[in-house]
Amino acid sequence: MSDIRNTAPHGEDFEPVPGAQSIDVQGGVGAGHLPPEPLPTEDKSYSQTQLVWRRFLRHRAAMISCAVIVLIVLVAYSSIGVGPIPGWWDKTYLATYDKIGTGSPTLTHPFGQDAIGKDYFAMTMRGTQHSLFIALGIGVLSTILGTLVGALAGYFRGWVDSVLMRMTDVFIVIPLLVIAAVLGKMASSWGIWGLTLILGAVTWTGLARLVRGEVLSLREREFVMAAQAVGTSASRIIVKHILPNAVGVIIVNATLAISSAILLETALSFLGYGVQSPDTSLGLLISQNQNAFATRPWLFWWPGLLILTIALCVNFIGDGLRDAFDPRQTRKD
Amino acid sequence: MTTLDITSPGPQATPGDAVLSFEDLTVTFGTDFGDVHAVKGITLDVRPGEVVALVGESGSGKSVTSMTALGLLPGNARVGGTVRVGDKDVSKLDGKGLRQMRGNDVAMVFQEPMTALNPVLTIGDQLTEGLQLHGIAFGKQAEARAAELLRMVGIPEPERRLKQFPHELSGGQRQRVVIAMAIACDPKVIIADEPTTALDVTVQADILDLLRSLKEKLNTGILLITHNMGVVADMADRVAVMLKGDIVEMGTVEQVLNNPRHEYTRRLLAAVPRLGVTSAAPLVEDHTEELPALDLRNLVIEYHRLGKPAFRAVDDVSFQVGPGEIVGLVGESGSGKSTIGKCALGLIPAHSGSVSILGQDLTKLRGKELKALRKRIGVVFQDPSASMNPRLPVGEVIAEPMVVHKIGDDRSRRRRVLELLDAVELPRSFYNRYPHELSGGQRQRVSVARALTLEPELLVADEPTSALDVSVQASVLKMFTNLQERYRFACLFVSHDLAVVDMLAHRVVVLQNGEIVEQGLREDVLHNPREEYTRRLLAAAPVPEPVEQRRRREERHALLLELGDEIAELHVEDGYERPGVDLPKGHNPYTTIDGPGV
Amino acid sequence: MLKFILRRVGASVLVLLGASVLMYILVINSGDPLADFRESNDPRAAAQMRSRIAAMGLENPWYERYWDWLKGVGGCFTGQCDLGNSVNGTSVLALTEQAAGSTLRLVTLATLLAIVLGVGLGILTAIRQYSAFDYTVTFGAFLFFALPVFWAAVLLKEFGAIRYNNWIAEGQYAPGTILVIAAVLALALAGLLGGSRRRRLLTGAATFVFVAAVMFVFNMIDWYRNPSFGLVMVVLTSAGAAVLVTALVSGLKNRKALYASLTTVAVGAVIYLVLAIAGVLAEPTWLLLAGLFVLALAISVGIGYFMGGYAKKQVMMITGITGTITSLMVVVDQLIAHWASFLGLKSRPISTIGAETPQFGGGFWESALDKGAQLLLPTLLLALISVATHSRYTRASMLEVMGQDYVRTARSKGLSEREVIVKHAFRNALIPITTIVAFDFAALIGGAVITERVFGWKGMGQLFQQGLNATDPNPVMAFFLVTGVAAVTMNLLADIAYASLDPRIRR
Repeated sequence: MSDIRNTAPHGEDFEPVPGAQSIDVQGGVGAGHLPPEPLPTEDKSYSQTQLVWRRFLRHRAAMISCAVIVLIVLVAYSSIGVGPIPGWWDKTYLATYDKIGTGSPTLTHPFGQDAIGKDYFAMTMRGTQHSLFIALGIGVLSTILGTLVGALAGYFRGWVDSVLMRMTDVFIVIPLLVIAAVLGKMASSWGIWGLTLILGAVTWTGLARLVRGEVLSLREREFVMAAQAVGTSASRIIVKHILPNAVGVIIVNATLAISSAILLETALSFLGYGVQSPDTSLGLLISQNQNAFATRPWLFWWPGLLILTIALCVNFIGDGLRDAFDPRQTRKD
Repeated sequence: MTTLDITSPGPQATPGDAVLSFEDLTVTFGTDFGDVHAVKGITLDVRPGEVVALVGESGSGKSVTSMTALGLLPGNARVGGTVRVGDKDVSKLDGKGLRQMRGNDVAMVFQEPMTALNPVLTIGDQLTEGLQLHGIAFGKQAEARAAELLRMVGIPEPERRLKQFPHELSGGQRQRVVIAMAIACDPKVIIADEPTTALDVTVQADILDLLRSLKEKLNTGILLITHNMGVVADMADRVAVMLKGDIVEMGTVEQVLNNPRHEYTRRLLAAVPRLGVTSAAPLVEDHTEELPALDLRNLVIEYHRLGKPAFRAVDDVSFQVGPGEIVGLVGESGSGKSTIGKCALGLIPAHSGSVSILGQDLTKLRGKELKALRKRIGVVFQDPSASMNPRLPVGEVIAEPMVVHKIGDDRSRRRRVLELLDAVELPRSFYNRYPHELSGGQRQRVSVARALTLEPELLVADEPTSALDVSVQASVLKMFTNLQERYRFACLFVSHDLAVVDMLAHRVVVLQNGEIVEQGLREDVLHNPREEYTRRLLAAAPVPEPVEQRRRREERHALLLELGDEIAELHVEDGYERPGVDLPKGHNPYTTIDGPGV
Repeated sequence: MLKFILRRVGASVLVLLGASVLMYILVINSGDPLADFRESNDPRAAAQMRSRIAAMGLENPWYERYWDWLKGVGGCFTGQCDLGNSVNGTSVLALTEQAAGSTLRLVTLATLLAIVLGVGLGILTAIRQYSAFDYTVTFGAFLFFALPVFWAAVLLKEFGAIRYNNWIAEGQYAPGTILVIAAVLALALAGLLGGSRRRRLLTGAATFVFVAAVMFVFNMIDWYRNPSFGLVMVVLTSAGAAVLVTALVSGLKNRKALYASLTTVAVGAVIYLVLAIAGVLAEPTWLLLAGLFVLALAISVGIGYFMGGYAKKQVMMITGITGTITSLMVVVDQLIAHWASFLGLKSRPISTIGAETPQFGGGFWESALDKGAQLLLPTLLLALISVATHSRYTRASMLEVMGQDYVRTARSKGLSEREVIVKHAFRNALIPITTIVAFDFAALIGGAVITERVFGWKGMGQLFQQGLNATDPNPVMAFFLVTGVAAVTMNLLADIAYASLDPRIRR
């Protein structure tokens, strides 16, 4: 995906819309005549959001990933249902069924059965539901917190910045998995909501730093100074002028936060500080079955491949968004 | 472009003796949105000891043309026609041949000295690598030669400079280093791409003097790419005017600048602001009994840096802007002019002294009162790409001040925006367009409209036109003067361009290093300056008329001598041996390492 | 510069202190340290509970307990370290001493590997942007980003250790396998070297034939079980490396540099021969090896100094690198020579449990092989994810730098693409990467906890987990102390690297 800007030999930071045919847009001269310069395009206008969206739609890997994620979500939630709402799959993740042979995948149990005969498809779907829920929750929460902290620190600077950033440093110096393990142990009795909340509370640090950096540079831009000079309040400047322009950084990192949250949740469950049995998550399933690799490999492969697929797709979506927001990195030359 | 109007150059020359020639050159970029024709078949040559200026505005294809001479275009460019450097056909050279040609036969001086040098390598490293690469000198000899080059371009203490990094040098010195690098291997032709655009006017005059002595003393041909007609008048022997990838006019500098034949050239020249020519600004009315719009008294502004003493950007500055009056604040970069502008807007705190706006002390106001005062001030900034929030459509950008101050409802706001669009001569259909769809000039018009939304009594304009092409600048300035006459706002006009200030200011304040050098009526300060610094500034500003500019240049040199300064030139000593001359053709530098090496 | 570093250290210590308070509070509130007694029906439970309450100071408020711990840590500066006791009464200091060594070895090695591989791959992909090679590496990087460490660990254990151990008992590749490996290598090399279609085809074909032939010969001489390398191969590979390093750093046109680096290899080979005849290398110590390496480095740099010509500094760097590679080749030769006897001692060479084989009887080289074989898989696993991060950042940074004005200036001087990349782009591209490397270190430590668990190491990760499970703050805090200090040290190194790379921030 190329951007005409990179080939424009000279001059202005002018981002063309599709259909703009020439690079010498500013050729018209006539002083005082109307229109003084030719219009860049005669067709309808595109907002920045629309341009980003168009670029994103053209990112093939991201589009395929979106489709895969949607499929996984649909299957995971429709098959065994949510809460009291039943799904189309007739078996549950708790019940034990008669074992067919060694429990390897069959038509009745497409993902096989575990050692005591539970339906592994239902278990995996239940695990996927939890992993997806927790990851999304952590992603949303950490994005909100990180954006808030970063925006405040970057905009107000001074002591606000010092306090918030030292706080961030404190969280950063402790390895994420370690603090997550300690908190996960505290929260494991509160169910997956507690786990989500408490993990969201420690994963915002990276984004806070990035947003702060972005805000620090945006607040020196002239349109922010122009807003300040008019007397716009700080909250309006942050919400209306600064954050919309940092939205690229925020959205891209929110996706990446979701993908690392999936891995964090599974790692914690694997260590025993995440989702607790008899409920299940993808990480817990692998943890419980890691020694069954030689005897019942399907117990190991299904949850692992699902984690891998979800995380991979989310990463590709993040990459597509990054390219869409910041086309500089994707020039063709 | 339909017509190609080429006036034949004066003395007819055989193509053989040109050091650089373009023949029917075309450059096309393949992009996702179809092919873009950047250069559409131009023919041009540069002979030894001659300066050819390639003039045009942004996007005219002049830089692309120059890059073809070095074979440095990006991969999606297709080049047609022939480009010759000396006797080499650039399009027929392979990678190795191109590299041997670069630096050796043709060298480049880039626009932006701040980024043209590698920040992590010493000046010495960057100078000697070209010498060693082309087999001119090695080791200690190369260092000695590098020091000699720095001395030639007028950098004091060259041996010490060799060990320094680019960030330790000023902008002008860096551009001298870039020139030293360009002449290191004694190329036949130097391509200077806007070599002085990023520099202050006095530094620009020095660099131009240096380049001129280059052609005189080394007989180098120079292809000068510029948009500045003053620079053309000062430097060029011949001129080619480019418009949208075509050369529309070509001839000697006197022909083109004094008797332009093509309509475009005429318009371009008419748009150039000239010192002392236009005095359309109306006389100042007597406002002494009224409160001044802006009153700065003993203003001091300091920047605090961690672990270092505070930097005093503005020191004891006092001046006033009366109601309905335009005051031009001029000075070079680092003079503190923009800082004063931002302080007058309340964006930077004053260290001491007072800033009164319309009789109220800005530094003492808080909350509601401050906001009420801000309603009466407008602002226009320099950078058209950064002055508008890219996420908001034009209509919202202009309406923003009304929303902030809760004035009117949606309907009345919309009406007001349309009114303002008319006032800044933009079509009403721009209401829903986004900033990235607008050109630089259009964006600055929107900025002006936004500044006028609340009908301010004071407008602070910080270099509003310096990022624009000259013809666009002319139309924006004209519109600005019309608006000022209509709305009668007071204006603090910050600029580095004396001619622009001369066009519209009633009074002028000259700043240097944060202090006021001279202030007074425009006629006094700009036409009969008393202070030495103002005289230097005025003398350094080139005018787009070759004969007049030659006279001014000689005057400037006389002034410099009178003030005890040196005129920038290439210091070529008698014993100076032109490098590479004694080396045989096709000589491989590395086979003779044992010779000059140890 | 010193002031800058001291300020950074001061800030880091404060942050570390704050983090330790947070960590302490969280850990002591994470559960009930007396849970096991409460559930017990043992009549002695009450008494044991009281004694544990006394031992752990549970009746004291948290700040007193924290202060006691901090005082003990403060003792480390006066030589009386006291990290407290664990629930069972063992000294945490003693536990830490055992555990820290293996964990830090793992993490440091993984970091180094990740930097070398990641930065290397990043630069190659940036140079070959939008090639098949670039896409493959990019996809690989995304895959490793998305890979759950523990899941990959199980796979690695199965295919890297168990299946390999089964295979090495025979030590023969099937013909089909050989052809597949050769084809993959051929594709990779052809993609990497690039060039015209014809050139790529030639590269690929040559690689394929060479690899396949070598592997068939290896099969015939039973090389995998009884390998040898020998002086000839040491000289050949080192000379190859010397030419490559020269080509990269100064270009082969600089004959002085080439001769100097080849001389280094020759001198190295002669020294190796002398040492081997004298029998010094039969049973060396680590100290002896380190001494010899320093000597080798000094000699190589010396050669560069005397033969360097006009570009002394550059040639000294070339010969230094060449000397290092030659020394490494010597070590490799020794290790390979001892592989057969190592197999004799341990028929299943790659273990999946523990950091070293208990009661291993072999000599110096055999036990080095043993330790290496234990370290191999965890290090690889830990490094892989960081390789993905580093390669992506390096690629982005490199592409950014390649678009800068000074790179254009360098090209306009007539520099070749190699000089532009090595001299002008690479150093600038490294500047932002130093920060990423330091930042990533904390993630590596987290990864080590999981890796250690999967591979059954008795390292810091185990200390942490056991402490946390028992709600016992002392072992957890010991873990935090070691990893925190390591992370701060890493950050400091990154700062110094940053300052030495970027003259603009030196003061």
